Amino acid sequence: MSRRVSVGVSCAAVAAAVLIGACGSAPAHQAAYSGSVVPVASMDTSLGGAAGTWATVLMGGSAAQHNNFWQLFFRPAGTSTWKLVTPPGTADNGGLVLAAGAGPSAISAFRPSQDLTFTPLIQTSDGGQAWSALSPLDAPLASTPAALALESAGSGQLLALTTASTAEQASPKAGKWTTLASLRTLGATPAGRQCGLRALTAAGYLPSGVPLLAGLCSHPGVAGIFADRDGRWQAAGLTLPPSLAGQDLTVLRLVAVDNQTAALLQAGNGSDSSLLVAWSGPAAGQWTISPGLELNGAALMSASFGLAGTVAAITGGGTAAVITSSARSWQRLPALPRSTVTLALGAAGQPDALAVHGSTLTVWQLATDGHAWTRAQVINVPIEYGSSS
Amino acid sequence: MPGMNSGLNVNDPTVVAAFRSALLHQGLIALLIFVVLGLAWLGLRGFLTSAARSVGTAPVAMSAEPSWRAVLRIGFGILWVFDGILQAQPKMAVGLPSQVIEPIAATSPAWVQHAVNWAGTAWSYHPLQAGAAAVWIQLGIGVWLLASVRGPLSRLAGVVSVGWGLVVWVFGESFGGIFAPGLTWLFGAPGAVLVYAIAGALIALPESAWRSRLPSRLLLPGVGVFLVGMALLQAWPGRGFWQGTAHGKPATLASMTASMAPTPQPHLLSSWITAFTGFDEAHGFAVNLFVVVALAVIGVTFLSGRPRLVRLALIAFVVLSLADWVLIEDFGFFGGLGTDPNSMIPFILFGAAGYLALVSAPEAQPDGAVATVSERAASWQSRVRATLAPGSLATASLGSVAAIGAIGTIILGAVPMAAAQASPVADTILAQAVDGSNAPLDFAASPFQLTDQNGHQVSLASLRGKVVLLTFLDPVCTSDCPLIAQEFKQAGQLLKTDARRVELVAIVANPVDYQLGYTQAFDRQEGLAGVRNWLYLTGSLPELQRVWRDYGIAADIEPAGAMIGHTEVAFAIDQRGRVRYEMGFDPGPGTTATESSFAAELSDTAQQLLASS
Repeated sequence: MSRRVSVGVSCAAVAAAVLIGACGSAPAHQAAYSGSVVPVASMDTSLGGAAGTWATVLMGGSAAQHNNFWQLFFRPAGTSTWKLVTPPGTADNGGLVLAAGAGPSAISAFRPSQDLTFTPLIQTSDGGQAWSALSPLDAPLASTPAALALESAGSGQLLALTTASTAEQASPKAGKWTTLASLRTLGATPAGRQCGLRALTAAGYLPSGVPLLAGLCSHPGVAGIFADRDGRWQAAGLTLPPSLAGQDLTVLRLVAVDNQTAALLQAGNGSDSSLLVAWSGPAAGQWTISPGLELNGAALMSASFGLAGTVAAITGGGTAAVITSSARSWQRLPALPRSTVTLALGAAGQPDALAVHGSTLTVWQLATDGHAWTRAQVINVPIEYGSSS
Repeated sequence: MPGMNSGLNVNDPTVVAAFRSALLHQGLIALLIFVVLGLAWLGLRGFLTSAARSVGTAPVAMSAEPSWRAVLRIGFGILWVFDGILQAQPKMAVGLPSQVIEPIAATSPAWVQHAVNWAGTAWSYHPLQAGAAAVWIQLGIGVWLLASVRGPLSRLAGVVSVGWGLVVWVFGESFGGIFAPGLTWLFGAPGAVLVYAIAGALIALPESAWRSRLPSRLLLPGVGVFLVGMALLQAWPGRGFWQGTAHGKPATLASMTASMAPTPQPHLLSSWITAFTGFDEAHGFAVNLFVVVALAVIGVTFLSGRPRLVRLALIAFVVLSLADWVLIEDFGFFGGLGTDPNSMIPFILFGAAGYLALVSAPEAQPDGAVATVSERAASWQSRVRATLAPGSLATASLGSVAAIGAIGTIILGAVPMAAAQASPVADTILAQAVDGSNAPLDFAASPFQLTDQNGHQVSLASLRGKVVLLTFLDPVCTSDCPLIAQEFKQAGQLLKTDARRVELVAIVANPVDYQLGYTQAFDRQEGLAGVRNWLYLTGSLPELQRVWRDYGIAADIEPAGAMIGHTEVAFAIDQRGRVRYEMGFDPGPGTTATESSFAAELSDTAQQLLASS
């Protein structure tokens, strides 16, 4: 081989090695995400009413989503015993969203999972003893316990938030859903523009039967709660104190119980965030607002609702607190039993702590002195592992 | 990677048995080809030799095959045969996409995965034909190379070796992983089969090149350049080769060998690899320095072209390659589903051939030309004359006959695969592997009258005159039923014009969610609302329960949030209303391959019934 050829091929080798080395050691692409996260309420929750208390909790023994099943429990008013009343017919790995009605009636939605893309609905009128299917919502329900609301004043209408950021309404028996609003149409209203609406987060009704929608506002100091007045969406009239003027506000839940609607809001971001409850009277425009519960940077783990506007919250820091519309101050609860996922409020506002370990639910009741939890009931749920695989 | 993996167990007994059977049958045909060719050759030889004697044709003088070419031809011929035998492993039919192609492609860029996915999907759709084709093509190329010493047939063997080698390199080895991070000579870069292809190209050189200096200029310097490049790559910082451990875990080389040690293999080999892993963890820098220096020195020595130095470097290269083959590559075919002995043996063959080309290179001609045009023309003319002469057939060697047999073997494997690829649907063997073969029956189908998704009453009697493919679906099922619905939809598409004479019917199998709104929502979800011969029937619960009982369908409410447990079955009902087949219809892994296979099975069954009417 000539010297010139040798030098040439050597250079080629070096160039090839550099090229290959550069290809082989290229750093992995790192996606950047600059958008802020919309706070979402946990699906573990409970709803208390005059006829009893409902609780939905996630149970299962595996990290695989297919082996996690949502369970529904009901405790009739005047008793201390919980019963497993999970509705049948559909795999509920995607989540159960409950809307409680008058008396022991309720409608449950199965959030779709895997290859299911619409939302089956089912109702009970006897505390979950018997269930009958309703016409499905032909869209996936949004992933929040605030995605379904039942009007219990008379019309019996259902209001549902979908993952496509639309609000659909139907009479459960007729089963014909119509789009009441969407993020786009609501955001284009004067109230929506004032809020700078960025996401729909909750659906509800005023005790008078007026549909409510709520969301995340991009404008600080504005609470995005909207009421449908004869087909026109307007601000629901919640005026915030000046102390919240510079805060971002997200409405997490809208729950109508006992002739009032409670709105759970998160104010601020990060370490400055706090929880607030706003209660409305039968009509919009008459709101009272609670003091803030400091989250100290923790996330809201679960929120529960009971009679007399009672709201209980568990935060990521392991603390729990309860507030009523009459007391107007948060009452700290003793340290929760291990694995508590939600609190359930009784008629007198006394909470039960529901703790989940695999397929076992343990009910802890707060002692009368309010200082300790005592184990009251253990329910072993016959979960069919592998049935959704 | 979507579609690549059929999802079946690699040891699936149905596929393994069918693969063995296919290989046995094709093997017998291949044997027959060789026997017939051999007998014909013997007969012609006896007849034509005497005829040639009477004509008095003189034998054509030919130059001997150079030693470097013999090393490449025989060496890579044996490797192809060995690879063909490895392809005959029972697990290969199902396992190659999931256990060979997919893991290799996993670290490559998306465009490589996209290209590889195409081939993996093609294989997983037709595992028997693809598996058998790989066996016979590789055995055929190997035998062809071994048998055909010289002449156009021998050169053609080299060309075919290049073609198939590139196919395997691109689709089977994801371009040898050259676009993936962690590329190194130690792990087999740039892919063993690329070396096969280059060897094929050298074998395909015309005979005039044998007498030139081209081989000596190409072979050893080529290996030298490659090794210098690999030394630089090995020395490149930040690739994890200079450390034995990183963050308390084995670094790049040690983690690779550590993963090889536990795979099934003789204990002695495993212990060697474990010992090397420990050594590299402790002395990672020294190991890499040694490799870098060794590759660089050997490469530069190969480039020097001095035979005495090259001989020493070749010995060092053989030792280094063998050490790598045993301690790092684990012989290439241990540990998982091996398809070849990896790259070190091909490299050794290349090095040896390069050395032989160097030491046997002719002196440079004064004008630098290999041969004059007139010489080339003369040799071409003499070759044509020799080929056309009647006596040439009589003097055809046994090797040439074997080469023709090998070509027949390649065709034997390639033609069924090509025919299978012409079909867009997967082989029904996949569906049979999941749920067994169809059970032939012949009894009157139980009548029913239910409501379709449009609210119209439909009875089985009203479908008389059509083939009915009947199944039972839960409209809120989250896993299997949507797959089954898609299989029915695909079957309808496969039937084409015959679809007019076939009705695809599902009956609700859910005692809770059976209302019309659910069948309609399911149809929209599955894109079935516009399918003309699709019926999704429901009724009152007592009506449904009666149909379930008549057809032996369980539809049980399961507790605690589980979906309805129901029988997954399909019935084929002929035009006279008689049940002719019952098909297990659990969709199994639900891959695109199995989905397509079930659709093909449905379509085939319907067409069979249509044809028998």
